Amino acid sequence: MELRRYIIRRLVQIAIIFFVILTVLFMLFRLAPGDPVSRMVDPDMTPEEAQILISELGLDQPLWMQYLYYLRNFFMGRFGNSFHYGQPVVTIIANRLPNTILLFTTSIILSAFVGVFLGKIASWHKGGKVDAWMTIGALATHTVFLPWLALIMIWVFAYKLGWFPITGMISEEVWLNPEAGIVAKSLDVLHHMALPLATLFLIHFGSYLLIMRSSMLETLKEDYILTARAKGLSEKVIRNHHAAPNAALPVVTSVGLSLAFSINGGALTETVFTWPGIGRELVFSVSHNDYPLAQASFLLIAIVVLVSNLVVDVLYAYLDPRIRY
Amino acid sequence: MELATKKIVLRYHWVFRIREGWGIFHQSLLGKIGLVLLLLFALMALCSYIPPRLDPMYDPMTGVDPKISHSTGPSMRHWLGTDFMGRDILSQLLAGARIAFMVGVSAAFMSIFLGTAIGMIAGYVGRIMDTLLMRLADMIMVMPTLLVVLILSSLFGQLNIWTIVLIIALFRWPGVSRVIRSQTLSLKQRPFIEAARVAGASHLRIIFRHIMPNVLPLSFLYMTFRVTSAIIIEAALAFLGFGDPGTVSWGMMLQWVWKTGHMFKAPYWLLPPGICISLITLSFYMLGRAMDEVLDPRLRREQEAG
Repeated sequence: MELRRYIIRRLVQIAIIFFVILTVLFMLFRLAPGDPVSRMVDPDMTPEEAQILISELGLDQPLWMQYLYYLRNFFMGRFGNSFHYGQPVVTIIANRLPNTILLFTTSIILSAFVGVFLGKIASWHKGGKVDAWMTIGALATHTVFLPWLALIMIWVFAYKLGWFPITGMISEEVWLNPEAGIVAKSLDVLHHMALPLATLFLIHFGSYLLIMRSSMLETLKEDYILTARAKGLSEKVIRNHHAAPNAALPVVTSVGLSLAFSINGGALTETVFTWPGIGRELVFSVSHNDYPLAQASFLLIAIVVLVSNLVVDVLYAYLDPRIRY
Repeated sequence: MELATKKIVLRYHWVFRIREGWGIFHQSLLGKIGLVLLLLFALMALCSYIPPRLDPMYDPMTGVDPKISHSTGPSMRHWLGTDFMGRDILSQLLAGARIAFMVGVSAAFMSIFLGTAIGMIAGYVGRIMDTLLMRLADMIMVMPTLLVVLILSSLFGQLNIWTIVLIIALFRWPGVSRVIRSQTLSLKQRPFIEAARVAGASHLRIIFRHIMPNVLPLSFLYMTFRVTSAIIIEAALAFLGFGDPGTVSWGMMLQWVWKTGHMFKAPYWLLPPGICISLITLSFYMLGRAMDEVLDPRLRREQEAG
């Protein structure tokens, strides 16, 4: 019950934050130099089409009315048409969102689990060679410049060795083949996903490893570990069942705190690998002055960030029975 | 006379603290490696003034070798080779070190200045001010800075390097301000603040004379981490093609390799800038961790126990 109230409170907070972001974006679009009409209306449209769109978006109204129109259009999912694709922005976004979520969640979950596992091992061997090498490895991979790592991965594994496709998410010959079943199609996507996933994994697991390691060392000093030892439990049981679950909690917090960092990284990875996700769409639309698409992608990314934050917080509350909100 | 002794005691106190800190720092291998690497990068930044003076063709931005009009590998004339229009890669790399320091340090300085000021105000004034500032901090903290700068550059056109630095600073203060706020909250309860207030010190005096000296070491610890994030954001922005077109940064060099399709052909051009960005962030990061040990006695004891 307590948890439900907490979730509701956080949802209200998220709604307020999002409303502020929405408003700031509206103001920025009006403050920027140039004509706001030209920013929403495709230059290729006929005057009649343009007129219809202008009245639909309320661009001929006074500013405060425009704001109300803007809010209404947002809730009705009307963002206008993309200049580049000529399709409604909503269609494009809805198309790209699953791809981003697939890559993003898989990479975070994978790197968190591996980070926790390796961090545990590093803390077992504290002060030894294994620990030293793991710490150095974690620090080094964590600070590598992501787009460069992505280029190197493509260069080595796709270009030189030819193990993976260079870019994209699907190969047409598999997806256009009517005989290809769901298994073949999924394998095709996995094959394309391997390199971007590996890149994001390499960048992320290091910080989780380091956090898990130091949290594990802290936890091993706790009284209940002493109690467990006094009961005569084996070291392995103490570490895996008594210390590790508690020590993993800060990792959950850090997943939440580093979300903004991960989203930046996700956008860069998608761009280099031309993975058809929201982040790449944002970068693409910004470089092609496709304002309607840029605006909608940005808002969607803001929603993704806020919701993932909520998920992480709820997960934390669920995992740690000591926390009651 | 009395004033003079006081000054000596004060100076001794500072010297002592720095020497003690250096002693702990000195034991940290990570810190030493980080410091050495940073000194090398600083040397690179200083050396960046030499090549353009030797010959105008070594100018990182405008200098084109008259005999070369495409990317060539390392040679005696160009130690690291040339880029797609015959510019010297080594001198670009050196100039990149200068830009990285400039961007990193100035953005970090501004953001810790903002973060410290806002954190102290939120913690000291409290109540509605605290709530407002901290909610603002929460909001900014969840925004992915890189994408925010992208949107701004789409609206306001090509941003110059100082605007980029300013925007990074404006979006990177919340982490610092949270830490400074909690530190200020605990300082506020201490007897010496109470004593100062009873003695009639104004709020401003309490903040500047009594609270600030106690939170500044923490701010500086955060500075190293802010430097890394500022360098990474600027590099990523330049890599995506939204950097300042008038500067040669490492991110810009990578953008040129990538966009001109040389990434599979010219490893001599692809490798150096990426290694430099990664190493400079690594060394600031290591320096930060070592300073963490100097400033946080808890970590120190753990180290000694191990």
